[in-house]
Amino acid sequence: MSLLRVENLSIQFGGVQAIQELDFEISEGTIHSIIGPNGAGKTTLFNLITGLYRPSAGAIYLDDAQIAGKRPHDLARMGLSRTFQNLRIMMNMTAIENVMVGRHLHLNRNLLACMLRLPMITRADKAARKRCIELMDLVGLGGAIDADASALPYGALKRLEIARALASEPRLLLLDEPAAGLNARETKEIDDVIATVARAGVTVVLVEHDMKLVMGISDHILVLDHGRKLAEGTPDAVRNNPAVVAAYLGQV
Amino acid sequence: MADIRPSGYSKHRKKQTYTRRLGTRATPMQVLMSERIGGMGALIVIIAALPLLLANNYQYDVAITIGINAIVVVGLNLLIGYAGQISLGHAGFFALGAYASAILTARYGLHGALAMPLGALGVGLLAYIIARPILRLSGHYLAMATLGVGVIINIVISREAWLTGGPDGMYVPPLEVWGVELYGGPIWYWIVAAFLVLAVWISLNIIDSPVGRALRGLHGAEVAAEVAGVDTTRYKVMVFVISAVMASVAGSLAAHFSEFVTPEKASFFHSILFVTMVVFGGMASTFGAVVGAAVLTLLPQLLADFASYEHMILGLIMMAVMIFMPRGLVPTLTGLARRRGARR
Repeated sequence: MSLLRVENLSIQFGGVQAIQELDFEISEGTIHSIIGPNGAGKTTLFNLITGLYRPSAGAIYLDDAQIAGKRPHDLARMGLSRTFQNLRIMMNMTAIENVMVGRHLHLNRNLLACMLRLPMITRADKAARKRCIELMDLVGLGGAIDADASALPYGALKRLEIARALASEPRLLLLDEPAAGLNARETKEIDDVIATVARAGVTVVLVEHDMKLVMGISDHILVLDHGRKLAEGTPDAVRNNPAVVAAYLGQV
Repeated sequence: MADIRPSGYSKHRKKQTYTRRLGTRATPMQVLMSERIGGMGALIVIIAALPLLLANNYQYDVAITIGINAIVVVGLNLLIGYAGQISLGHAGFFALGAYASAILTARYGLHGALAMPLGALGVGLLAYIIARPILRLSGHYLAMATLGVGVIINIVISREAWLTGGPDGMYVPPLEVWGVELYGGPIWYWIVAAFLVLAVWISLNIIDSPVGRALRGLHGAEVAAEVAGVDTTRYKVMVFVISAVMASVAGSLAAHFSEFVTPEKASFFHSILFVTMVVFGGMASTFGAVVGAAVLTLLPQLLADFASYEHMILGLIMMAVMIFMPRGLVPTLTGLARRRGARR
């Protein structure tokens, strides 16, 4: 059964059709990549799925529940999490505090309990901190736990985004260009992190330009062009699809 | 003024990568330097020792005014410094608290200790109703909207003379506990001190909790906080209400202490003064809020000897501090101390 199903999805900004009548499915436990030239609508699609945009038409189902138009924090509750292509790091906090914000839904948020600093709050915070340190170790940030986020280099912040997204223990994780701007070694590390996450049972959707990463790790690839589905299938099928080659290299 | 820098984010900040892993205990020095223990301890020691230096009623008046302002500013700092939302109307909530205490005790004969929480409840409700629509706004627009709230409150208080005494203000009966009238500097000093310590404690607790991280998170990256499951609208409303309630309680204290209230308390300049105290002391620093309130309450008194130059000197000092300490007094000074300590 599919975890996420998109039906006839469209959104327009002014006169621009950013996504047009898109249909696809993502099955549970797979790594699913979305590729396409710049401006194809990949990030727009992410924003639609995570509730930042409201579609002009169509529907998005998570476990057969219609989620289009729901607010992002409600979707987080349903097990959706994501990272951002342009970093959205809380620069006013430390690295681990960023990750702990990702833990929000798993903690007691009762205002009175927090105001009085009841023992259960401090105890839960301690446990959360421990869990978040594990996540930071996983993404290779074990040495920067209490560092100010604003003092970390770009590559570390990309990984911090992944740790924060994982802290909510999502079922469906959307990664928007996790390897953009990283060197080959860092990309390899991200590759390993994604594989580990997927092995833990999290369904991963990936927007990425690094074809080596995409082709190596994906179970399934969706190719977008001008907001439409251009092709879909296994990495091999997509690689040999003439329409995909044309879109990337231009008409021969 | 409306430019709210993300707290703690500054190009001046030195890169610091220090690790404290689980299992390694904090050194006693780190504990003392921590906000919670070191800061609370210092605050209580200062409050306890200060009466030794207070020689007369006037000096007690100043100390009490500092305490009352500090309570408002600690609350406002949660909104401005931590959550990154501006309010130019908090003097309105302060005045509503003051007038709630005045009206409920003078006109309806309620006990002051009952009027204060009732006023706080009313202000909290009003803040809640106002907050939902206006906190959709941000930046300059939010500043304008909150400014409007303060102005409306000021006008209502000035015009509804049958209830509030109008521009002349109204008399407030003294607070009575078990038949004893609470009157005079020394008693009020300890009352206000207790409320201030409570406000600081609550503020520190909130900040260092899931709620506080949600607030700071939505300040730092609102979309990311939302995606992480933080209902950002709800948290903005929540912190707005908390800060309004704290202002209201401070207003009630001020009313009973001075036994007189005027619409001046709701004035735009009073709101600006509170915001200035937040920024001056250091945004996103609870103790910065206390220091900001203390310095900016004290300075005009100290400069009174300069007569007509008073405001000019005050303005120059404020400009100098903001230019040389853009993060505010306390964050700049603690940052400096920490770097000194690290070098050793």
